[in-house]
Amino acid sequence: MTYLNRRNMLLAGGVGGTAALLGMTLIPPARQLEAQELTVEDVLFDPDNPVLGNPQGSVTIVEFFDYQCPYCKANHPVLTEVVEEDGDVRLVLKDWPIFGAPSVRATQLALGAVDVGGYELALETLMATEGRLSDAAIEEALEEAGLDPTELDAAYRANRGKWDGLLSRNSFQATQLGLRGTPAFIIGASIYPGSMDREALREAIEASRT
Amino acid sequence: MTLILFRATQSALIALLAVVIALMSASPMAAQSSIFSSDRPLPAQEAFALSVSEQPDGTRILSWEIAEGYYLYRDKLGAQSESGTPIPLQTPAGASMDDPTFGSVEIYSSSAQAVMGPVDGPVTVTWQGCQNGGICYPPVSETLAAVEGTSTAPVSDGVALAQDNGMIEGLHARGGTLMVLAGFLGFGLLLAFTPCVFPMFPILAGILTGQGRDLTVRRGAALSGVYVLAMASAFGLLGVAAAWSGQNLQIVLQSPAAVYGVAAIFVVLALSMFGLFEVQLPAAWTRRLSSAGASRGGTFGGAATLGFTSALIVGPCVTAPLAGALLYIAGTGDVTLGAGALFALGLGQGIPLMIAGTLGTQVLPRAGGWMDGVKRLFGLIFLGMAIWLIGRLMPGPVILALWATLLIGAGVFAGAMDLLPKEADMGRRGVKTLAVLSMLTGAIMAVGAALGGNDPLRPLAVLQNGIAGPTNEQIAFHTVTTPDALDAALAGEPDAPALVYVTADWCVTCRVIERDVWSDASVQAALADVNLIAVDVTDFGEDGQRMLDRLAAVGPPTMVFLDRNRVERSGTRIVGDTGPRAVQAAVEAVR
Repeated sequence: MTYLNRRNMLLAGGVGGTAALLGMTLIPPARQLEAQELTVEDVLFDPDNPVLGNPQGSVTIVEFFDYQCPYCKANHPVLTEVVEEDGDVRLVLKDWPIFGAPSVRATQLALGAVDVGGYELALETLMATEGRLSDAAIEEALEEAGLDPTELDAAYRANRGKWDGLLSRNSFQATQLGLRGTPAFIIGASIYPGSMDREALREAIEASRT
Repeated sequence: MTLILFRATQSALIALLAVVIALMSASPMAAQSSIFSSDRPLPAQEAFALSVSEQPDGTRILSWEIAEGYYLYRDKLGAQSESGTPIPLQTPAGASMDDPTFGSVEIYSSSAQAVMGPVDGPVTVTWQGCQNGGICYPPVSETLAAVEGTSTAPVSDGVALAQDNGMIEGLHARGGTLMVLAGFLGFGLLLAFTPCVFPMFPILAGILTGQGRDLTVRRGAALSGVYVLAMASAFGLLGVAAAWSGQNLQIVLQSPAAVYGVAAIFVVLALSMFGLFEVQLPAAWTRRLSSAGASRGGTFGGAATLGFTSALIVGPCVTAPLAGALLYIAGTGDVTLGAGALFALGLGQGIPLMIAGTLGTQVLPRAGGWMDGVKRLFGLIFLGMAIWLIGRLMPGPVILALWATLLIGAGVFAGAMDLLPKEADMGRRGVKTLAVLSMLTGAIMAVGAALGGNDPLRPLAVLQNGIAGPTNEQIAFHTVTTPDALDAALAGEPDAPALVYVTADWCVTCRVIERDVWSDASVQAALADVNLIAVDVTDFGEDGQRMLDRLAAVGPPTMVFLDRNRVERSGTRIVGDTGPRAVQAAVEAVR
C-alpha cells in the first residue's frame, strides 16, 4: 500500500485541473466479522432505512445527512437529479442529526412519515427549507406540504423502538467509518466526505460499477 | 488506483478497510482550491483549534484558530458547568452568512473569541462549524479544568463566597413590600419557639407578676404589647444601625459594660420582686427602678426597656432572616425596607409572647400568699438571668459558685432549714422538699466550683474526666480569633474542604448546635476529613468585625462551607439554628 501524492492522483484520475475528493473503499468480507464490526451490508442495506430512487438499483448511494446542514440541503437537488437520470441507483438517506434538537425533531417526523406513506414528501419538504429550523418551522413546512405533524409524530412514537434503533445505528456507523460530518456519501464501497456536485456523483457511480 | 490504510477504527477493521481513490471534481468552491489536502475535511480538532487564556480575575478567554476555508457558527458556541447549567459567553458579532439556502447565520472565519466569566469547577465548552462548501461537523466539546482560585464572587483573601440571592430580594420580586413584611412576620413566628426567644418568656412573666393585684387581662395584653413592640423596634433599630455603621448592633452590644448593666437591672428587678429587702436607694432611683416592672407609674416604660434590651442583649440571636435583612441593607443601602422587614421579624417573634402574656394573666393567682411566692420565684429567675448573662464574661467556676449561692439561698429562703410543725400540710412539705433539693444541688455545685468545674448541669464532670478534660466527645475545631489566624488555618489543609463556624460564648443557638449537631455521630463522620475552623467572636472587637466582613457573616452562628479551592458553594451557608441533616448535606455539596 502506498500513500498517494497529489501528482500521481491527478495522473490517475486524469481530471486535470479539477481538484478531487478522496474516496475510500470498504472491503469487508461480509458478515465474517464479529457482531460489533461493521460491514458494507450494514451500511448499504439497513433493513429499517427507507430507500429512495430505484430500490432494485445495482448501485447504492448512502448519504449521512442532517436537515439543518446547509451543504446537505444545497446538495440535495443535484443528488436527486443524478439518481433519477441514472435510473439504476438506490438512494439511502441516513439521518445523522448533528445540529441539535430541531434536527432530531425533523428526523423523527420524517421517519414517522414512512408508515403513513409520506416519507419522500416529508424529506423533500424539509430539505427544501431554508437555513436553521425550529420545531414550529418544521411543523409549518410539513403542514404546508399537506402532512399532519401530529399524525407523523404518532406514527414515529408507535414505532419508536425501530426508529431510535436506526438512528443509533446510523450514529454508530458514522463513528466507525470515521465520518467527520455531514454530508458524507458512501457510493458503492467508497466514502466521499462533503458536498458532491453532479460530475463528482456521476464519476463515483461509474467508479462503483467497475 | 492506489490503496492506503484507512484508520477508521482501532481494531481488526483497520486491516479490512482499504482505500480506493476516486477522483472527483468537488463542489465549485472546492474546485477553486488547487490544494488537494484542503479538500479532504480536516479532523475537527485541526479545523478548529481551541486555546484558553486565564485572566487574574478568573475570566477565561476562549480563542479558536480556524483553518482556512472553515468557519464556526456564533450561535453554536456554548459552555456549561459540571451540573449542566449553561454559562453565558460574550461573543463579538460574526460575519453574516446570507445564502438563500442557509438563511442568515453569523459565522467566524480564521479566528473566533469568546469571553467566559469566572466559573466554579470544570466547564465544558462546545463549538460547531463547517468546511466551507464541504462538510458540517458534529458539535465538538472539550472540558476545561477548574481555574485555581476561581469563584462566582470576587476573590478576597483566598476565600470566595457564594453570592446567593437574599431573602428580601426574593420576596420583593414575588410580591413587593407587603410580601417582604408578611414573609418576615412569618419567619419571626417560626423563630418564636427557638432558644433565642425562650428567655423572653420568664422576663415577660416577671413583668406581669410584678403587677400584683392590679393585673387584669387588658393590662396584661397592654404590657405584653408594649414589650413586644419594644422588642420589634429593637430589631428595626438593628437595621438602622447596620446601615449607619455597617455592624450588627447585637454583637457590638455584647460588651462587658452592656452585659453587666443588664445583669444589674435584673438583680435590682429581682430585689424589688422579693420585697423582702428594703431597697434603700434615693427616691428618684427607686421610682426609676421599680418602674421597670413593679409599680404602677411608668410600668409601660419598664416593659418597653426590658423588651428593647431583651432583643439586643439578653437573647442576641443571629438567624437566617436577620442575616438576610442586614446583608440586604449593607448591599443596597435600602434602610426602610430592611428595617421594616426586621421590625416585622421582631413582631412575629413576639406574637406568641403576646398571646401568652394575655392569656397567662388568667392563670396567675389573684392574691394572697401565693402571689408573693410566685413573685419571689420570678425574683429568683431574674437573679438566675443575671448570672446567666455575666456567665458570658466570667470564668466558669465563678459562675458555678454563683449558681450554688443562688440555689442555696433560694433553698434557705424557701424554708429548707426551717422546722416544719407536725401539722404542716402537703403544700408546705412539698415546698420544703424542693427547698432542700435546691440546697443540695447548690451544695454540689459549690463542690464543683471548688474543683474548677464550669458546667452548671454537670458540676462534677471534672471528677469523671480527670483534670479539665473535654466533657464529651466533641468535634475538634481549630479556634481562631484574628483574621491572620483564620488565614493560617485555611491555608493549613489545602486539599481538604473547610467548614468555618462563627461562634461565641454568648450565642445561645451555638450551645444548641454544640449539643445537637456536633455531637451527632453522622455529622462527626461527615466532617472527618474536613478542615474545621471555629471563628470565635466572644470578645468582639475590630478583629471580630474584620473576620465577619471577610465571611460576609452577620454574627454567630454562621457556617460557611468551602470546597478544596476555597470557594463557597451556593446555597450551602447555614445561619442560625440548624440540624445534623442540613450540615451533612452542606458538607456533601463541597466535597
